[in-house]
Amino acid sequence: MRGKKLGMKVMAGLLFLAVILMLCTCLAVGGEYLKEETESYNQIAFSYARTAAEYIDGDRVLSYLKTGRKDDYYRQIQDFLNASQGQTDLKYYYVFVPCEEDLVYIWDAEREEGACPLGWHEAYMEGGREAVREIYRENPPEKITITDDAEYGYIASAFSPIFDSRGEPIAVVGVDLSVPKIKRALRYFIHTVILSVAGVILPAMGAFYAFMRKNIIAPVRLLNEAAKAMTDSLEMENPFRADIRTGDEIEELAGSFEQMSVELRDYIRRLTKVTAEKERIGAELDVAAGIQSSMLPCIFPAFPERQEVDIYASMNPAREVGGDFYDFFMVDDRHLAIVMADVSGKGVPAALFMVIGKTLIKDHTLPGRDLGAVFTRVNDLLCESNSEGLFITAFEGVLDLVTGEFCFVNAGHELPFICRRDETFMPYRTRAGFVLAGMEGTGYQADSIRLNPGDKLFQYTDGVTEAADGSNRLYGMERLAKVLQENARRAPMELLPAVKADIDAFVGEVPQSDDITMLCLEYKGRTDREPEILTADAAVENIAKVTDFVNRQLKRRKCPAKVQNQIDIAVDELFGNIARYAYGTQGGEVVIQAEFTEDPPAVRLTFIDRGTPFDPLSEADPDVSLAAEERQPGGLGIYIVKQSMDEVFYEYRDGKNILRISKNFCEERPEIALGEKVPGVEDREFMGVGGKQI
Amino acid sequence: MTISEQREQGRKILHISGSLDTVTSPRLKQALGENLEGVSELVLDFTDLKYISSAGLQVLLMAHKSLKKQEGQLIVRGINESVREVFTITGFMDILQVE
Repeated sequence: MRGKKLGMKVMAGLLFLAVILMLCTCLAVGGEYLKEETESYNQIAFSYARTAAEYIDGDRVLSYLKTGRKDDYYRQIQDFLNASQGQTDLKYYYVFVPCEEDLVYIWDAEREEGACPLGWHEAYMEGGREAVREIYRENPPEKITITDDAEYGYIASAFSPIFDSRGEPIAVVGVDLSVPKIKRALRYFIHTVILSVAGVILPAMGAFYAFMRKNIIAPVRLLNEAAKAMTDSLEMENPFRADIRTGDEIEELAGSFEQMSVELRDYIRRLTKVTAEKERIGAELDVAAGIQSSMLPCIFPAFPERQEVDIYASMNPAREVGGDFYDFFMVDDRHLAIVMADVSGKGVPAALFMVIGKTLIKDHTLPGRDLGAVFTRVNDLLCESNSEGLFITAFEGVLDLVTGEFCFVNAGHELPFICRRDETFMPYRTRAGFVLAGMEGTGYQADSIRLNPGDKLFQYTDGVTEAADGSNRLYGMERLAKVLQENARRAPMELLPAVKADIDAFVGEVPQSDDITMLCLEYKGRTDREPEILTADAAVENIAKVTDFVNRQLKRRKCPAKVQNQIDIAVDELFGNIARYAYGTQGGEVVIQAEFTEDPPAVRLTFIDRGTPFDPLSEADPDVSLAAEERQPGGLGIYIVKQSMDEVFYEYRDGKNILRISKNFCEERPEIALGEKVPGVEDREFMGVGGKQI
Repeated sequence: MTISEQREQGRKILHISGSLDTVTSPRLKQALGENLEGVSELVLDFTDLKYISSAGLQVLLMAHKSLKKQEGQLIVRGINESVREVFTITGFMDILQVE
């Protein structure tokens, strides 16, 4: 139906126009005709009235009124009136004398029936007296009076006075014309006008409508349909098809539309292609980001077999691939290297350069090699392959796990924070060299500092200190120092998330503008280099042997009795399990390594067997809230160990089940108030502090 | 581990010293097996018990169930910090009647 609207509107408009036109024509032409007709009747009526009035001798009229007798003159006049009436369309033609009470007929033309005889009295019609008075005035207006009388019907009357010899008006000549005749004529005239106008206008209108239809409505409809169809067929060769040949603006419009649709189609095709390309690049960037993040060591604890050091690092890239990187690796058996670096720029170029830088630094950090020499060499190599003018700020340090000596070199990077045991995090002033890849031939010099057990080192990139909040304030060194200080006693794995949470709280909703990369290293101190080792057959009977071996070591290191009990239970559970299940019925050996640190005092026990691979930590914890009746035997042993030891670690490597437990002697350490020393850990009294007193 | 048996106001009391672990628990299990018959109240005196491992817990659970079946009662007394810790970790504080 929507398509028909325009046609219907035009049609309705034309019809309205035709009606208005006809009405106006009728009114104008009809009105003029009526005026002329009335005028002509007026003239006819009054000319008859005046003729009779002048012809009739007024003096005789009164004698007829008085005597009522007809004479020759009377008859002569009667004939004259009769003849006149016959010649024209006069309905009545009469002469009367207006008296006080009524009017009296003298003559009346007899052609019509019911003509009044001489002396016939008739009452005045309404307004009759006034009309006569009007007629008797000098120079009365010659205008026919139209009356509607029940007796005589619609009549238009003209009156003219008859004067006597003294010049007094004595009688009146009346001429009545039949009005229906006028009306009929008028109606006929109007019909003629309407028919002729309709006969002309309607075909003209039809023709105009056909013209409109052909030249405007149909092309517009075609245009509309083609435009509607275009949305469905934008993929096609020529999406807009409208065969419009009107030779005017509409054809031009169709042409423009066609051109536009083709351009739109091409644009959409291009856009689709570009989008697909973008998606492909996005997918590749994801892969690149994956490769990049896999280049950064991200398995923690990083060195579970190294008790001397605890390390944790994190990187939150601002874009898909970033230019920050950290690294840590063992240079040799007793040296751990850490690297923190930031490549200038962002995105893919920075990431590519980061890969080169990271690889070069790691490759050139060799046992015994001076770090200054490492950076000098790496700088030269980077300069060779640096066509884009990128550079890297980098910090590298190598920690001797035995002595705590920390050698480092700084190439324009942020100062590291160092926290001495039980003291505060302070930025450590270092000799700042020039950035890597900045200038060929730059020399770098290494420095060293001695770390004591319990000392921590925090290194980061400028994404931390330059994180901006909503009003563009920077996070800054001071706030970083404050949050580090607040969390100084936390392990590295907890410290970094705390700093990140503080940064997040600072920036709020502002999107991250730079990579945020942090690394924390805690030097936990030297271990006894050689662990105590016991080898025992996997048999339940040997539990006592193992327990004795461990207890001897613990006693020598003044282990509190409660911790010793916990460790004895753990030995009973773990060795008991291995003895019963590891080798089935065949039997085999179990190696027990006992390692100790002095500061903090801690023990680490490792159970190694070559039996069936089994990870006791994979078992679900038992539900310890069940009532006795619902309890199943078993599962409690490893659960007790997990609850009472600080750390339980399992791996299957080189055909060996390696199960390791660690326990700090002063187990309540996290609850000690800051700076407070634990009094007499070996006292039995102390044993109740952390637990529940009876 | 040593187990000594004594009577006290008509109650049977087993005094355990040493430790209840994988090796020693079967002996307690055996001793209980001999002593549970027709007993309405059994007291385990842990005053001299150093520690208990999961093997010991299993024996206690078994004894608790057996006594409950014959409408008896198992009472544990004199536990030290180590034993209490294990009882707490494993939920045995809620199961056993500890004096």
